[in-house]
Amino acid sequence: MDFTFDEDALLFQETVRDFLGNECTPEHVRARWDVGAAHDPALWNRLAELGIPGLLVPEAHGGLGLDERTSVLLFEEFGRAALPEPVIATVAAGAPALREIGGALADEWLPKLAAGEAIVAVGHEASPFVSDADVADLLLLPVDDAIHAVRPADCELVFEPSNDPSRRLFSVGFDPGATPRAAVAEGARAVAGDLLVRGSLAAAAELLGATDRMIELSAEYTGQRHQFGKPIGSFQAVKHQLADCKVKLEYARPVVHRAAHSVATAHPDRALHVSMAKVAAGDAATFTARRALQVHGAIGYTWEQDLHLWMRRAWSLEQAYGKSARHRQNVESWILAEDARLGPGATFRAA
Amino acid sequence: MKILVCLKQVPHQDARLDIDAAGTWIKEDNIKFEINSYDTYALEEALRIKDAGEAEVVVTSIGPDRVTQALRTALGMGADRAVHVKDAEIDGSDALGVAKVLAAVAKEESPDLVLMGLMSDDSNASAVGPMIAELMGVPNASSVMKVELADGKVTCERELEGGALEVVELQTPCVLAVQSGLNQVRYASLKGIMAAKKKPIDVKGAGDIGLSGQVGAGAAKTTIDKIYPPPKGEGAELIEGSTGEVVEKLVGKIKELGLL
Repeated sequence: MDFTFDEDALLFQETVRDFLGNECTPEHVRARWDVGAAHDPALWNRLAELGIPGLLVPEAHGGLGLDERTSVLLFEEFGRAALPEPVIATVAAGAPALREIGGALADEWLPKLAAGEAIVAVGHEASPFVSDADVADLLLLPVDDAIHAVRPADCELVFEPSNDPSRRLFSVGFDPGATPRAAVAEGARAVAGDLLVRGSLAAAAELLGATDRMIELSAEYTGQRHQFGKPIGSFQAVKHQLADCKVKLEYARPVVHRAAHSVATAHPDRALHVSMAKVAAGDAATFTARRALQVHGAIGYTWEQDLHLWMRRAWSLEQAYGKSARHRQNVESWILAEDARLGPGATFRAA
Repeated sequence: MKILVCLKQVPHQDARLDIDAAGTWIKEDNIKFEINSYDTYALEEALRIKDAGEAEVVVTSIGPDRVTQALRTALGMGADRAVHVKDAEIDGSDALGVAKVLAAVAKEESPDLVLMGLMSDDSNASAVGPMIAELMGVPNASSVMKVELADGKVTCERELEGGALEVVELQTPCVLAVQSGLNQVRYASLKGIMAAKKKPIDVKGAGDIGLSGQVGAGAAKTTIDKIYPPPKGEGAELIEGSTGEVVEKLVGKIKELGLL
């Protein structure tokens, strides 16, 4: 089985990295925080020109018809740039959910979404809040055994403070009896389950990118700051800490890539693989956030230093689409199950 | 209208550059490459002309297999097809050798316009554009800041010293070497990158364009003897202390040197 990324996927990644390196700078992120609105319609339009919102939208609806084996690399780049746009909800979770729901709702919204003309917010059982609901044109909200397609005018939003101004959270009030049900019963449960899995995977990929960036920032800073006539990064007490971060990251990366493969190929254990990925990426990111802060020293605590842009992302994404504890519990349940298939013979078994 | 855009693939601006064992070039192993930044403006200008009307944009580049990625990127941005000149015989060519290869491609393609960057980020020679024009026997303008096409003529604004601009008119076909900042370069869209897979890349060797034995290190009239980082300067003095002390010492130093 060949798990290497194809040439297109790598070129997409490089293109998106270049684009975000120029268009989503720390100054841009700070500017969005200053105006209290993470989403920037102008940047969203530029992302749409690249084709980002339609990554997972079928070609028949104007999208690129790609799957998670490609999008996982791009979500790493979103994390690396601390992109404050609702890409997880709209691109990773919303579009596939609409595709699975199908029918008139998909016909109406997927083309708009692919064109960058609509933003979708999603609710899920792992959080009482909905991120970026204030900028959404459509909210997909699971309640009991149904998924409701709710227009912004039909709900009441209450802003909930978060430690990450790039991820604006809202409590959403609406009347389930007065809003259309997009899916019900078994279909709704499947959509809601996949929505959470896909959101978790995208969050895990963003965590990889954020981790990588925090290591870069720390390596850069510790290479510049001198003590005792040498860069502090040359001292074992500092460089070993960053090496540990890098090890955590590189051990998490293949777990996330494997989960992306499982989601793209509808592997029956995809939810488990995504839980493993979310735990590994969350651990790597929060570990790195602590170490990065430590090697930066006092300046790392300042608002002016860029490090906190990614630390906040690490903390909030670790909680998003299911905290690590929840995902760890999923893995634990699987390992401790009586019929658990463990060991090398089970690790890479076919679906 | 047909436009030929000459692209050079150069080390990525963030790549760490180490000098090779021979001391005449950099180590190219394990570094990233990208399209020469000046050439991206030339490509963007060609694509804008295409967007504004009927035009075919052909991109060409010289180099090993890795150059394919630069050509694919250009195709992803909107170019229609590519010509990749790949031949070990061309290795070691000087600017004139490179110009001969590109001029030979241009003669085969018969474009109305040849566009390229004013210089390359790695060699900074600014020589190839005028050489291509000379070899083709067509007019040339360098340091071009604006391009307008009408009635078989090209009107260009050229950047001169001191911020002045010069307006020149050229008959087509002609060669334009463009300055950076001429336009805002687009990004390849993901759909464009996917479509680029279906666009043709024609691979040619020196013999295919009639240059066997005429290019490469053996034919070069200019060779690189040595490249090296500039030696570190001496005599710098770090003035330390509080702000008041530093200012006082600095003013004293300026007076001591007779600069005030």
